[in-house]
Amino acid sequence: MTKELSRNERIKEASAYLRGTLAEGLREEITGGIIEDDAQLVKFHGMYLQDDRDLRAERVRKKMEKAFSFMIRLRVPGGVCTPGQFINLDHIVRTYGNGTMRLTTRQTFQLHGIIKSNLKATMREIDAALLTTLAACGDVNRNVLCNPNPYQSRAHAASLALARALSDHLLPRTPAYREIWLDGERIAGGEEEVVEPIYGKTYLPRKFKIVIAVPPSNDVDVYAHDLGFIAILDNQHEIDGYNVTVGGGMAMTHGEPETYPRMADVMGYCRADQAIAVAEAVVTVQRDWGDRVNRKHARLKYTIEDRGLDAFRAEVEQRSGVKLAAAKPFTFTSTGDRYGWTESDNGCAHLTLFIENGRVKDVPGGVQWLTGLRRIAEVHDGDFRLTANQNLIIANVPKDKRKSIEALVAEHGLTTGASALRRNAMACVALPTCGLALAESERYLPDLVTALEERLAAHGLAEAEIVIRMTGCPNGCSRPYVAEIGLVGKGPGLYNLYLGAAFDGSRLSKLYAADLDHGAIIANLDPIFAAYKSERRDGEHFGDYVIRADFIAATVNGADFHKDTGARR
Amino acid sequence: MNSSPIPNTAPFAEEEIEILNRVVGPASPTQRAWLAGFLAGMNTATTAPQPAVGAQPAEPLTILYATESGNSERLVSDMAKAARKMGLKPSIVDMADLDVATLASVRRLVVIAATWGEGDPPARAIRAYGELMGEGAPRLDGALFGVLALGDTAYTEFCAIGKALDARLEALGGKRVVDRVDCDLDFAEPAGRWIKTALKALAPVEEAGRGRVIAVDFGAKAASTADLGPVEAEITEFIDLNSSQSEKETIHLELGFDGAAPPYKPGDSLELYPENDAAYVDDLLKAAGLASDAALRAELTKGRDVTTLSLKTLESYAATTGHQHQEVKALLESGDARAWIAGRQLIDLLQFFPITLSADQLLQVTRPLALRAYSIASSRREVGEEAHLLISAVRYQSFGRARKGVASGHVADQLKKGQRLRVKLRPNRHFALPAPERDIIMVGPGTGIAPFRAFVQERRATGASGRSWLFFGDRHFTHDFLYQLEWQDALKDGSLTRMDVAFSRDTPEKLYVQHRIWNQRRDLVDWLDSGAYFYVCGDAKAMAKDVRTALVRAYADVKALSVEAAEQAVNNLDREHRYLQDTY
Repeated sequence: MTKELSRNERIKEASAYLRGTLAEGLREEITGGIIEDDAQLVKFHGMYLQDDRDLRAERVRKKMEKAFSFMIRLRVPGGVCTPGQFINLDHIVRTYGNGTMRLTTRQTFQLHGIIKSNLKATMREIDAALLTTLAACGDVNRNVLCNPNPYQSRAHAASLALARALSDHLLPRTPAYREIWLDGERIAGGEEEVVEPIYGKTYLPRKFKIVIAVPPSNDVDVYAHDLGFIAILDNQHEIDGYNVTVGGGMAMTHGEPETYPRMADVMGYCRADQAIAVAEAVVTVQRDWGDRVNRKHARLKYTIEDRGLDAFRAEVEQRSGVKLAAAKPFTFTSTGDRYGWTESDNGCAHLTLFIENGRVKDVPGGVQWLTGLRRIAEVHDGDFRLTANQNLIIANVPKDKRKSIEALVAEHGLTTGASALRRNAMACVALPTCGLALAESERYLPDLVTALEERLAAHGLAEAEIVIRMTGCPNGCSRPYVAEIGLVGKGPGLYNLYLGAAFDGSRLSKLYAADLDHGAIIANLDPIFAAYKSERRDGEHFGDYVIRADFIAATVNGADFHKDTGARR
Repeated sequence: MNSSPIPNTAPFAEEEIEILNRVVGPASPTQRAWLAGFLAGMNTATTAPQPAVGAQPAEPLTILYATESGNSERLVSDMAKAARKMGLKPSIVDMADLDVATLASVRRLVVIAATWGEGDPPARAIRAYGELMGEGAPRLDGALFGVLALGDTAYTEFCAIGKALDARLEALGGKRVVDRVDCDLDFAEPAGRWIKTALKALAPVEEAGRGRVIAVDFGAKAASTADLGPVEAEITEFIDLNSSQSEKETIHLELGFDGAAPPYKPGDSLELYPENDAAYVDDLLKAAGLASDAALRAELTKGRDVTTLSLKTLESYAATTGHQHQEVKALLESGDARAWIAGRQLIDLLQFFPITLSADQLLQVTRPLALRAYSIASSRREVGEEAHLLISAVRYQSFGRARKGVASGHVADQLKKGQRLRVKLRPNRHFALPAPERDIIMVGPGTGIAPFRAFVQERRATGASGRSWLFFGDRHFTHDFLYQLEWQDALKDGSLTRMDVAFSRDTPEKLYVQHRIWNQRRDLVDWLDSGAYFYVCGDAKAMAKDVRTALVRAYADVKALSVEAAEQAVNNLDREHRYLQDTY
């Protein structure tokens, strides 16, 4: 093969372990941006260069460059942070950010609207809070998810420990992060020194995502990630070991059928103490086998498709020295969160709050998420857990503290639930900051849900639990292809509608209709709702129904995602 | 034959040299000989000895001036002309250049001094003023003197500098031969009268006795500005440079002219003829009980300053209305008047102490509407026959009323692309670019950036070899970075060497240009040591002083000087005309 490596490979190679010219670029005061190569590298440091797309049209006329700012994504393994850390982040977003936080679908915080001149101050405050952004984005292992599972405290403690261990083990070792953001001095080191024992100079071919699921909840969408661990509990509710899944991923490109979302395969079972060795082997095989020529074909899912699961498993076993056993049985029931108070086996209570699209902000005259959560953080001694559904759990509340937290929830108008459709809804950020967005998402989904709720209510389906997710582009941040109703931005005001995914996140959806505007989305769904109401079987989920009722063909896995698309009935 | 016989070093502007070369270059020997003879003859004619004024040698008269906007400067040149006719030998001294010690030998002295901002001397006069007021000032025993003060009644410390100098000259032993007159913005007439009186009092006795008639037009109609009369312009571009998410509104105005643009140079200003806000004028007329007077409405809108509320306005309101409102008189006598007028305008006075006025009475409590000057933000070498202005819309809320700047509000709210307006060139030779090889440092936060856009355009067009360094500041980097793309281009093409920015609202601690000056003090002092010119444009109230203080601190730190010695170093920049200010 003499094919040229992708541009990002050359950028990584030349970057001297993620330094590039970032330090110099930060000193350029008259632009809020950084050069393109550095914009690729800065992702590895946990941030994206973005611009306010609402303002693009006016900027040139006003003789100003794009309204650049940075989105900073934290790395919070398992989504667990302390109330003190939350207070630090609250200070940062009020001081340097846009006064809001975004809880993401991958259990972390995103801080938006931080301008270049404030980056270092922000990064120093994050560091002082014992938090980091290193490898929150980029071609590396990103934030490791695990089920926040407050009512199974021992399983949670074990899976959280694994999430943190995996995160630490696979963290880039380059000193560039400290040099650029914190210390300012380049730490001397011989060129021949092994800086990145796992990654090497060019890191991974593409992003890499790991999750840990604790059945029966599949809230982390285990099949949608490169590497997954499904906890297998013994009869003492302790984690015995894990089924290992590989090759999941959401992203695709419109009009390019060789790109597709894919559900991970269950590769086998390993003991809990083998998980790290298995993970490292999966990462290094992907490092060596992954496609570095075509970035749209570089995720692990394509490596598995191209090489076959058996070959991949064999290589992983060889490198890790772990012989994987046959997968053990497990059952998933849903992907959603359990809202409100729950109690756990350790005698504590946990409050799951419903935060629409994960946007933590103070609405003038309305809900005061930011202030309310800070006030709770000021009195709370347990922890804060972000869920993979963009929600937040006030976890480990002693019984005597419940009242005071309930009072703060009420005082600030915080919510612990919503209508059935809304509490099962997720949207990515999209416009105005995301550079990839083709259409609105976070700013539009709430209105669409309102309109759909009205239709559902008209059919007597107000209480139906249906998972609906929207993204502004086909890259799939809110995992729309595993939602029963998936809406993917195609252009301004236009969406592709996907149907047929499983409620428990175990089956992909399929394209039902393309290029729909608001009215057409409702017009397409309304008759299906009506049919669902009259034809559904007992306990039958919407995603299963549309396949049985032949509205849409089932997608078995990624390779047939683009086959037999369209409405069938 | 050399087609460009006139050297670049000839004392003409570049385009004039080009024109001369076009004529002289191809001229025949006969034509050249004729031209040489003609020019020689012309020169003799203009320098021919004037008829002798008198037998006795002329008495020297020192005319000292302190100017900010150029008004004092124009008056002194008129006064010098008149003085010559009266047998005096005038010498004009800019306070910027004054060696205070030389005053000891002066026998006749007039001072025309402007007061700036809140009772400050004009920036260029700060040093000499300080020395004159200080302990080292020389005695002036027996010297005859008079002071003309220029000011603005809208400011509470009206004519403070003229008043202080008048008292100081007397304290130093001078003999006042003419009483001080304090002039408001409409100074031309009172200044003219004062000059006549002063010259009579200062002229040698025998000359004054002959009753010579002096006829000179004073002030506004000075010959030097006659060719700069108002011209019509069309707004060819109108852009609010701030982002739609900014709390500020800074308007970039491009003006086109029917023929040539006024012959402006970088650093000059254009004066606009503002109009008062129609709704405001209506409120005012209503409050005065004159709502139906259309002629008055027109006059007030275009011709009168109907917003300024000064102590003088209060006094005149009380007097004009025959003290119908005892409260106004009581307010004036109580000493609270200053506090009361702060943040208020004429409309508040009329609404607070309502009296039905006659049109004449209303006119009497107002003064003529003054022109508003804005630094030109372009170079003709880059934009051709256009002139660009940068105008920040002043809007604020006080005492429950939305207020706006008269001129900036007019521009922002009333003017649109395609409309026509009258403008008048106001040259500013004290804020001009130095020789092309000299380095320049420009400090221009907010609209203070305007003349520096002209500077950079000019230096790009002329390929000036000197380095240039710009300090800019505003509130938010993202929403208030004026002309950002142009500065990026200028840095790329080298017409701007470096740029430092300070945005005050992006960080918890406010960052201003003076902080950046402090950060960069080593390089800055280095540039100044190698002869760089230092320009400051923008807010006079705080910024200009803060910048000067920062520069003093910079010298003290970099060169390990005492504060006094560092101040001296900055004063030396003044003396060398390398510290130049255009503030407002």
